[in-house]
Amino acid sequence: MKEKEISPIDILMLLSGVGFILLFIGFAIFLTLFQSFGLFSITRKSAFTLENWKAVLQAKEPMDSLFFSLKMGLLSSIGTVVVAFPIALFFRKGGTGKGILGSIIKVPLFIPALVAAFLILNLIAYHGLVNTTLMLLNLIHEPLRMLNDKFGWGVVFIQIWKNLPFVLLIVMASLAAIRDDTIDAAKNLGAGYWSVFFRMYVPLAMPGILVSMILMFIRAFGDFPITSVAGPIYPASMAVRMHIMATVFQEWDQAAVLGVIIIVTTFMVIWAYSRLAEFVKREV
Amino acid sequence: MASTDSKVKIPLHLIQARRMRHFYLLLMIFFMIVLILWVGIPILMTVMWSLVDPKNPWSYPNVFPPSFSLAQWKYVFDYTDIRRALRTSYSLAPLSVLLSLVLSLPTSYVLGRKKIPGKKLLMLVVLLPIIIPGMVVALSLSRVFYAFGLSQTFFGLVLAHTLMSIPYMIRVMTTSFQAIPQDVIDAAENLGANTFVKIRDIFLPMIRPGLLAGMIFAFTVSIEEFNLTFIIGTPTLMTIPTILYTFLGYNFIRTNASVVALLMMTPNIIMLFIAERFLKSDYLAASLGKM
Repeated sequence: MKEKEISPIDILMLLSGVGFILLFIGFAIFLTLFQSFGLFSITRKSAFTLENWKAVLQAKEPMDSLFFSLKMGLLSSIGTVVVAFPIALFFRKGGTGKGILGSIIKVPLFIPALVAAFLILNLIAYHGLVNTTLMLLNLIHEPLRMLNDKFGWGVVFIQIWKNLPFVLLIVMASLAAIRDDTIDAAKNLGAGYWSVFFRMYVPLAMPGILVSMILMFIRAFGDFPITSVAGPIYPASMAVRMHIMATVFQEWDQAAVLGVIIIVTTFMVIWAYSRLAEFVKREV
Repeated sequence: MASTDSKVKIPLHLIQARRMRHFYLLLMIFFMIVLILWVGIPILMTVMWSLVDPKNPWSYPNVFPPSFSLAQWKYVFDYTDIRRALRTSYSLAPLSVLLSLVLSLPTSYVLGRKKIPGKKLLMLVVLLPIIIPGMVVALSLSRVFYAFGLSQTFFGLVLAHTLMSIPYMIRVMTTSFQAIPQDVIDAAENLGANTFVKIRDIFLPMIRPGLLAGMIFAFTVSIEEFNLTFIIGTPTLMTIPTILYTFLGYNFIRTNASVVALLMMTPNIIMLFIAERFLKSDYLAASLGKM
């Protein structure tokens, strides 16, 4: 009587959720792919062509956008994990006031990305709190440009602020799985703070670190609202450029090329992650 | 006796240990203050911006606004589309939560309880809507939606929001279905429970926390969904995020944006604190900790 065998009803049940997702996402992916080669084009006659790919790959702007988005994804994912890891360690040891503190740190998780961008934008604006404070302390003589800066530090900071609790939750879960005995044993054998940190906590929490980095990278790489509010004027992020390409220049086919590049990059990163995760598992 | 001697020397390592403890306590207090400021200051600044008195504007040399008033709140409610946006947002969210619940319950049951080939791949497929960047999905879906007459319609937005929230729903509920011990189900079957009794007395009570967690995530996802709403709904249907975007874009009005930002995040934060009380384990980490 074990309900383990798969039946046609199970497949139907599976289809209700997975089918819904596949229907829309499948449509989206295939349409983007076909459109990038000129098929099902809205603005032109539907015919196979490589012109769109040529146009995008030869222009300077899309490549700048690609590098900018990659940079944002990488810096945000590394930055968030670097900030989150010590906090996760702090929360690992129980103590007074941890409960309420845990709730407070989780607040940004429930603040929408656009609102988070706006909240931080108030602080780092030209005459925002950070610049005003630094000026009052006589540390700087002219306000720093942190919002819409050329490099994109503003975007990275907003990404870290918004996604810190998300990464924190995942890293904390993987830290919680480490047994105290293991750490005590290492300490007894003479491991100092740093070697416990780098040779015990970091490797043992690696699966959580990897998955949170990958999710962070995907979010920051494909982000539209945060870069469009706080990002540099040039280069635009991939998602922003794709939107401009489609709605402002009406080059839907070239926008589709950008879409394919975004999707392929995302999948490549996930593939690299799964290989890395296997590698980490094999070694431990 | 050493213990009665008041001039007994405390060993150096004990003093050092005590100092270390004090140092650790100080460090912890410092850390707590930093954390509270980290989250608190941005929110406090926004609250202040939303209360700026138009008669006494808050400009550069002032660290605090010179006087407070509710004029900005009144302005936003009287002269912008915020009422309509609030109505749209808060009628979209429950409907999309309901739809994603109905669609994901059977799927999560099969994914959580049955042995099916390619389960790992299916779990990844489920994540596709949040893996593929929203703008890519939005721009390509806008054509599909247009073809089916769904763009600029309320029902189209319900479908779009469901698409974005269903990954969380399926992931969270799959983990809760997995957590049900097979013994309990076997025991119920041996005692003659039929499918209805099993659902009522075993499945529903045991997945209830996961169900609630999934619903809360789905609700917040719908409230903050931007990309798809922006492409498919604007300008006919405005939600709170798209209205905030207009305040942050062409006509940047910090005070109005503050009001809208507060309107958008306050219910979410309240929900977080309510959820904290009855959600004991972390469903987000449990469901997204593996890809």
